Amino acid sequence: MFLKARIKRKLPHFTLDLYLELRPKDYTVMIGPSGAGKSMTLKILAGLEEALDQKVLLNGKDISALPPERRGIVYLPQGNSLFPHLSVFENLLFVFKARKIPINKAFLDKVIDSFGIRHLLKRKPQNLSGGETQRVALARAICANPQVLLLDEPLAFLDFHLKLELVAFLQKLPTEYQITVLHVTHDPIEAALLAKRIYLLRQGQIVFTGNFEEFLREAPEGLANKDQVADIPGYARFWAKALRE
Amino acid sequence: MKRLDLNTLITLILCFICFSFIILPILHLFTGLEGESFWASVRDAEVWSAIWISFVAAGFSTVMGLILGVPTGFLLARRRFRGREFLESITNLPIVIPHVAVGIILLDLLNENSSVGSLFSRLGISFVDTIYGIVAAMCLVSISYIISSSIMGFRAVDPELEWTARSLGASPWYTFTRVTLPLVFPYLLRGSILSFARAVSEVGALLILAYYPKTAPILLYERFENYGLKSAKPIAALVILLSLFLFTLLVLTSTPKRGERDVS
Repeated sequence: MFLKARIKRKLPHFTLDLYLELRPKDYTVMIGPSGAGKSMTLKILAGLEEALDQKVLLNGKDISALPPERRGIVYLPQGNSLFPHLSVFENLLFVFKARKIPINKAFLDKVIDSFGIRHLLKRKPQNLSGGETQRVALARAICANPQVLLLDEPLAFLDFHLKLELVAFLQKLPTEYQITVLHVTHDPIEAALLAKRIYLLRQGQIVFTGNFEEFLREAPEGLANKDQVADIPGYARFWAKALRE
Repeated sequence: MKRLDLNTLITLILCFICFSFIILPILHLFTGLEGESFWASVRDAEVWSAIWISFVAAGFSTVMGLILGVPTGFLLARRRFRGREFLESITNLPIVIPHVAVGIILLDLLNENSSVGSLFSRLGISFVDTIYGIVAAMCLVSISYIISSSIMGFRAVDPELEWTARSLGASPWYTFTRVTLPLVFPYLLRGSILSFARAVSEVGALLILAYYPKTAPILLYERFENYGLKSAKPIAALVILLSLFLFTLLVLTSTPKRGERDVS
């Protein structure tokens, strides 16, 4: 197993207590309702938040005590994470400068063309659309050459057609760039489109692990209440059934 | 033609009164100015010396304010600890205390017979009627602007951006200098301009602590006291012109140029 992590952290309404494993070059989606502890899980894995107890093994090496910049894990937060005072090109170069490594021009050119952002290089982030912003943020993350990429709701706030466009770029991450991905979302459609493996997180606990077919068959439904008209597995089953019919 | 509604009309009238209130006194000063006395002030060496001292002392005071105020602002904006709100309110005290009282406090604390003053005098630094006294008084009355701007700036930077930088491989220092500081810079610049402006115009504390060497406002006050309005007006006009020139220059150099936001 490529990444193994056990983390425990007290949150306001429950304790985040989970064990997860990521296989090399797998695209894993952690799915769960808002406030289930998904983003906190990513931040702890990236070394950006403290935990009561954590053990994170990457390729067998314990990285729990390492600072974020030395973990080999890149975290991409929800929303616009581009540095607003830098142009798109400067955002990409930031990765090389921050690590004090020579700019790999061939690799940089490949990433720029692969994500179709050459025409955006001189722009400032505030002049990009939501889809363009996420493409640049992904390209920048790839420039950091991470072993694991953590994506916090990368498709949130995008129109449906932009989501589909970005899905094509996300699918390249394990195949073209050999990156192991953990993507968190509350949308089962994203899991259907991208996930090789799904974790269902509820109140800080993993309640299901499997692929999308197994998710549709076996994932336990949560209680629907006035705030939550349908739990995620129920929602996914509803759409899967509707699409089949 | 678009008709103005009552709310817009009232807002426009109040806005007009506000601008008039700011601009009319300055215009009045310049329209009532005699060319000959103005040129006499321009040729007056004592006036230039006072202006020079004002600007140099305000410059030093601003730099000192930045050195002390930015880390303080960072701490108050980013760390959670007991008494933080209390400390934050203390940073605004110099704005609240009358400046003559600030002068009295500083004179009492820093004169050569006091324990603090004697400590400094052993290092060859005396505050009464010296440039050190001017800088100390200016810094005390103006540092609040730098601290509050720093607090606002550090609070405005999204921590997610700093986390992203760390995650992309940047050390904490690289993240601070290349991400946090550039984003806080407009706030610091604004705080510095306000602090500099406040320092240049300081009179109250200087009257008590460091009348000499004379700064421009002290010279203005002295000329007015000794020779009346006619003698003080040309110097006031000169100081206003120089201040306007300097602040316009600062604002122009700190505002993003047209097209800088998007060069594509």
